[in-house]
Amino acid sequence: MEKLLKEQDVQYIKELFDRDLVDPVELVLFLESEGSDKVTAANSQYFQYTEEIIKEVSEISDKIKLTVYKDDKEKEKEYGVKEISALFIQGKNVDKNVVFYGIPSGHEFSSLLEDIVSVSQGTTRLSPASKETAQNIKVPVEILVFITPTCPHCPKAVKTAHQLAMENKLIKAAMIEANEFPELSKKYNVYAVPKVVINEKVQFEGALPEDIFLNKVLSAVDES
Amino acid sequence: MDEFFTTPVAEKQAEVIPDTLWDMIILGAGPGGLTAGIYAGRSGLNVMILEKLSPGGQIAVSEQIDNYPGFPDGISGTELVERMEKQAVRFGTRIVMEEGIRISKEGKLFVVTTTGDKKYRTKTIIISTGADPVKLPVPEEEKFRGKGVSYCATCDAAFFRGKDVAIVGGGDTAIADALHLTRFANKVIIVHRRRELRAVKVLQEEVFANPKVVFQWDSIPSRVIGDEMVEGLEIENVKTKEKKVLKVNGIFAAIGTVPNSKIVRGIVELDERGFVKTNYNRETSVPGIFAVGDVRDTPLRQVITAAGDGAIAEFSAENYIKLMER
Repeated sequence: MEKLLKEQDVQYIKELFDRDLVDPVELVLFLESEGSDKVTAANSQYFQYTEEIIKEVSEISDKIKLTVYKDDKEKEKEYGVKEISALFIQGKNVDKNVVFYGIPSGHEFSSLLEDIVSVSQGTTRLSPASKETAQNIKVPVEILVFITPTCPHCPKAVKTAHQLAMENKLIKAAMIEANEFPELSKKYNVYAVPKVVINEKVQFEGALPEDIFLNKVLSAVDES
Repeated sequence: MDEFFTTPVAEKQAEVIPDTLWDMIILGAGPGGLTAGIYAGRSGLNVMILEKLSPGGQIAVSEQIDNYPGFPDGISGTELVERMEKQAVRFGTRIVMEEGIRISKEGKLFVVTTTGDKKYRTKTIIISTGADPVKLPVPEEEKFRGKGVSYCATCDAAFFRGKDVAIVGGGDTAIADALHLTRFANKVIIVHRRRELRAVKVLQEEVFANPKVVFQWDSIPSRVIGDEMVEGLEIENVKTKEKKVLKVNGIFAAIGTVPNSKIVRGIVELDERGFVKTNYNRETSVPGIFAVGDVRDTPLRQVITAAGDGAIAEFSAENYIKLMER
């Protein structure tokens, strides 16, 4: 397969990683192998591209370790994988709670890079007040953020959700590529992105500022 | 599959040192703000661009820009923004992902307060906060936003694969969006209040030739119909006052913009529609505050005019700083 990242982009990301990465980060990618009955005409290309792009990113820095599981039901269970492909970012402050379902392409590629940096540094860009509020949540929260790769406002929602998860392991936050998972998009009535669903109850569209986003999380927690 | 991967230029910025006295703070990283940033960086000014959402502003959702010189085959809005960002960063301009929410005066200086209650002191400010799409003028707008009503064809078109959609408007954005929607939708109905389109000729020719597009002339939207999701759009003929219902699942609106001038309301003079008044130096009514691009009172809101504004405003701001320090 031809390289997906242009040489200049690789150069650019290398500069970023060399400067900003601190601790090792593990990327854990779940896929189906070719020939598996779960691979369809619709998703096989997605799987190929996802594997390739994640491989290319992980090769840019030796602080990034890539683990790929294919058709590994046991590992999928351990991580709580809902859909394939799934990419988990693992580091010291996150554990199986920051995930991308589907390819992090287009504008979401920037979410992936920022997540890697944040996890490696063990800090987020959230305000001190938001951090405290997020850390004080005592019940499990699941945040789904539906996006399309062509949506420039979507990374803000994905980054906010993922950063909340980085502050509290009870918060599990997932990006979902809406085009790649049409069934899921249909189930959650996704007609505009970003669309955020919290604990299956609270739903909203749009890239909200972090304090308002957090209020939505709290309202979902209250209903729990 | 048509994959692309945008690298996050803004994240390349080092941490902002507190208590810095800035020469210039630019509010908004669209083409106007980024151009001012490029010029200021090249002039050696200590300059920062604050961006609340994502660099690029409205052009980030333009699939193809064909009227910005130097790109004979056109360029996507996303790529053009990325290039402008990289160009600004190359000259030392910082792009910081924070939203400016308040401007106050402190002697000769300004203080910009951002979300998260950070305060930055600066000698000059360039307002390049842009404009947002005008909301669909029907009472049900809020209820159906995200339930079939959308303002971003680039983001949401794929959800209407095989369905019928309406697009309200007749300008460049509406027609470009309509053409984008034809790649997914079964039928695209353009609802326009006049008998002819305002969009540029090349777009008109393309849209008239597209078999998926039909027109509802002299018509305005009056009501969105549906239970949970959009099921139809009622339109009214402005001449005959006749009403009819279009069976559509999606309604896209591109009927002009409203300026994001809230941060300077009560500080600088605005026109009756809220656009920032400027003179030919792009100065506002307050010395030291300049405005560029879609947020200002300009006859043409395009990438190139915003970029031109950015260059002029930066030049004026530099002169202002020189006079201030004399």
